[in-house]
Amino acid sequence: MRREPAFFEHTLRSKRFNRAFSRRALLRSLGAGAAVAPFLPLLNSHAAPGDFEPRLLLLFSANGTIHENWVPTGTTDDFELSPILAPLAPYKDQLIVVDGLTKTGSGPGDSHQRGIGMLWSGNELLSGTQFPTGDNNSSCGWGGGITIDQAIANDVGTETAYKSLEFGVRTGGADVLARQSYAGSNQPIAPEDNPALMFERLFGGLDVDDSALLKRKAERKSVIDVVRGDLDRLRGKYSADDQLKVEAHLEAIRAIEVRNELAVPTCEVPQLDLAFDPQATENYPEVSRRQIDLLVMAFACELTRVASLQWSRAASNLRLPWTGVEDAHHELSHRGDSDQSMIDKITTINTWYAGEVAYLLERLASVPEGDGTMLDNTIVVWGNELARGNSHGGDPIPFVIAGGGAGVMQPGRFLRYDNASHHRLLVSLAHAMGVDSIQSFGNTDPSTGPLSGLLA
Amino acid sequence: MLSASVVVSALGQPACYGGLPDNAPGGTDGTHTGTEANDAEADGSADGGTDTEGEVVGQCGEPITGPSTLRRLTNAQYRRTVRDLLGVNEIVSRNFAPDELSGSFKSNGTAPVGEIQVEQYMDAAESIASDAVVNLATLLPCDPATDGEDDCAEQFVRTVGQRAYRRPLEEFEVEGLMGAYVGGKTAGNFADGIRVALQSMLQSPFFLYHVELGASGGPLAEGQITPLTGFELASRLSYFLWDTMPDTTLFDAAEAGSLTTEAGLEAQIDRMLSDGRAAESIASFHLQWVGADEIESLEKNPAVYSSFTPQLAQAMKDETAAFANWVITDQDGRLETLLTSSVAVTEDPALLELYGVVPDPTHVIGEPHPLDPSQRAGLLTHASLLASHAHADQSSPVHRGVLLRENFLCTQLPPPPMDADNVPPDPKPGATTRERFAEHTSNPACAGCHVLIDGLGFGLEGYDGIGAHRAMEEGNPVDVSGEIVGTTDIDGPFQGGVELARRLASSEQVRDCVAEQWFHYALGRATTQDDACTREKMTEAFISSDQNIRELIKSIVLSDSFRFRATENN
Repeated sequence: MRREPAFFEHTLRSKRFNRAFSRRALLRSLGAGAAVAPFLPLLNSHAAPGDFEPRLLLLFSANGTIHENWVPTGTTDDFELSPILAPLAPYKDQLIVVDGLTKTGSGPGDSHQRGIGMLWSGNELLSGTQFPTGDNNSSCGWGGGITIDQAIANDVGTETAYKSLEFGVRTGGADVLARQSYAGSNQPIAPEDNPALMFERLFGGLDVDDSALLKRKAERKSVIDVVRGDLDRLRGKYSADDQLKVEAHLEAIRAIEVRNELAVPTCEVPQLDLAFDPQATENYPEVSRRQIDLLVMAFACELTRVASLQWSRAASNLRLPWTGVEDAHHELSHRGDSDQSMIDKITTINTWYAGEVAYLLERLASVPEGDGTMLDNTIVVWGNELARGNSHGGDPIPFVIAGGGAGVMQPGRFLRYDNASHHRLLVSLAHAMGVDSIQSFGNTDPSTGPLSGLLA
Repeated sequence: MLSASVVVSALGQPACYGGLPDNAPGGTDGTHTGTEANDAEADGSADGGTDTEGEVVGQCGEPITGPSTLRRLTNAQYRRTVRDLLGVNEIVSRNFAPDELSGSFKSNGTAPVGEIQVEQYMDAAESIASDAVVNLATLLPCDPATDGEDDCAEQFVRTVGQRAYRRPLEEFEVEGLMGAYVGGKTAGNFADGIRVALQSMLQSPFFLYHVELGASGGPLAEGQITPLTGFELASRLSYFLWDTMPDTTLFDAAEAGSLTTEAGLEAQIDRMLSDGRAAESIASFHLQWVGADEIESLEKNPAVYSSFTPQLAQAMKDETAAFANWVITDQDGRLETLLTSSVAVTEDPALLELYGVVPDPTHVIGEPHPLDPSQRAGLLTHASLLASHAHADQSSPVHRGVLLRENFLCTQLPPPPMDADNVPPDPKPGATTRERFAEHTSNPACAGCHVLIDGLGFGLEGYDGIGAHRAMEEGNPVDVSGEIVGTTDIDGPFQGGVELARRLASSEQVRDCVAEQWFHYALGRATTQDDACTREKMTEAFISSDQNIRELIKSIVLSDSFRFRATENN
């Protein structure tokens, strides 16, 4: 159901939120303590079970894991979390740990490049001279196909201000290693690495009074008319790939135009202290937390139903000294298994990332929805470009799923597969989000259908 | 060849020309092309025969170029263009998504924009325009009080608009921008109108992209080629030599049609290379070429390299920029000088300390400091290059070897076997880097490529992970012997970075590779076989000038590839 444009209706009501939910509870839930001003999705009384549509959130961290320290022990319904996943223990009932999925397909690029480029797309990278590869001195281009988040967003994202939102934490330069999401072949989507800018993007319109907002909307409309006119005149002047660039720019302008005419979000302006350098190594944990805060706000405010968060990039060589590990991540991950310090340190780094996932789940779980929380209505999937950093293999990718997906996920399980293709998981995610038309995904999909036993 | 005065209509040429629009800016664009072809045929001066790729190059008189793509301004170009358009130093563009690369160079020519980038342009335009109208009188070419607001607005749109679009505006474009002005003024006041018109210009594709449709003005068929218009050439020239928009002199030259003659172009090149803005572009080229332009984001382990601070990183970068400009602008401009001079053009105390320089009491600030010629020779031994191609806690013969292979020798290496195990050797206390990487060349599966890479990198083992010279590593004397293999003219063993630098400076393969790198920087793309004639011309100019980089730059500007456009039709 599309909302009627109502430019200044700050108090626009959403059907999702339980009247019993208190302002103070959300205030607490949004993380920055006393510094947080009221940030409230405004509440409505008509929420009922089954009223909620699931949201999808893809997470990425790099360089593989240490499988023996990652994989749970026990059976499907009775399992113990591993050391790496220990920070997720408070949310064990909300997890589905998926072991044994293999990433099929090869094509251009090295294992890190292919790893991130194929993770959510199931597509081989394009051949090309654009990116030299790390381990064989050949080269590759951008990803060769749409990723599952975008395929889903194209379907479910038409009623929200943003079809999808892409968050990054120090993802670095525009490189195939730094893009987990694609709108299509050769169409990487840049994430926003700066929480202050993401804040401006999402909530920047909310702190001005009505007449100023109306004026800005009118001005933007005038500007859009000029820009669209100029782009229209370039259509048909180019061929092939260049023509696509003009079309993509036009499409972005159209999306901005639609957003310009939408009502402002049904939230009051949150206040977070975002005045720090998002590129400084020591601020990495802070950036991670604030991006998570913003992401949860964006979901709570119904700005989108599809999002992704990418910590660093494939083959990340960041140092994470606050974990006690001084080494650069990628170089560390290359060391042989005989080096116990590598095993310990990579375990430490991955455990730290699990702690960030735990924080995310805590935030989602602190926003009440119906009789439960937003976590019950969200599907979080945490992936990696590799299984293990030193062997560079893709079997098995350490997938962790969290959240109830509005009833479709049946969390609280440990699922073991015997080299099932990760394409099956991608198809399952589409089905979980209500996009049943997708039965196979990507140009390397060896089969069809969802992952057996995953969805309720 | 191009100076002959015979004028042949491009329309009279075979179908490989796009023809001229009725009102091509500059008027005479395209008319020289026939001249070039005819001259070449007439005097037989084009080099006949077959080049190494088996192409027949006997028809180098006929304009031919590889395909170019639609590129967006790089973030640095955006920043400088706004500076030169409005006289403001904006900082908003540092919030933009990072630039793509083509080869080693920033060039937004492959991926289309997404919503976030277009929003970033919108936010930047709003911020820049708001700041600009604060000093309305400076921004406007007229006085609204005496000229009338709307008339003055139109003057603003015409004068600033054509500089923003980097070509004369069509009347309907003036009308469109005036529409934005009226929209802004109606909802607010005159200054709002000016601001909204300016916002529109800054978000127009004609501002954000290098729009190079050529004289034909439209899509090209397979094999079709069209000369760039005078204004398009002005922009290509300006973004190549200055990394920013054209100045008034260049726009005037485009308007007058003089950029379509060789003499007219040459006059601009000489003028532009002696302008201060050229320093920014020369710095950009060299920092990107040696892979040191993002040195501030390098991760070094502070337990190993405690002196590697952000300030030192910046000083390394500045030194390479200053050194390249010193060679090209203040010295003889020769490639050999660039690759072998033993000087440091820096005053940074930490960097001088890293280089082991104790400043001479008679040193004049700004003059180069002499370095130990047994330790340092040219760009190759710059701390910026050595630190950028190293690990967080140690040197990397592999990274350094790959840089030299790819960016100095332009070698495409064969891929390793599919089952290659890429796990590097475990660190062993007491072992040197060289010893740990020995398996690369003792294991036949790795040796095929690593013999090409590591032999170069091992020769740079006399420099640690941040580029400091060293004689010992892990208690052992450092072995700096290396070997160059697989080149056309400089194979053989060598000792250390200085000898390696001299060897590279003597190589024709390196010379041609440097020319290729400059081409790539100038046009945002690698050469293709359709650029063979341009390559030939560049090589000739480089050789005949005793490897003067200024002459190489000139030859690129005068080449077909620079002055014409073709597209890939797929």
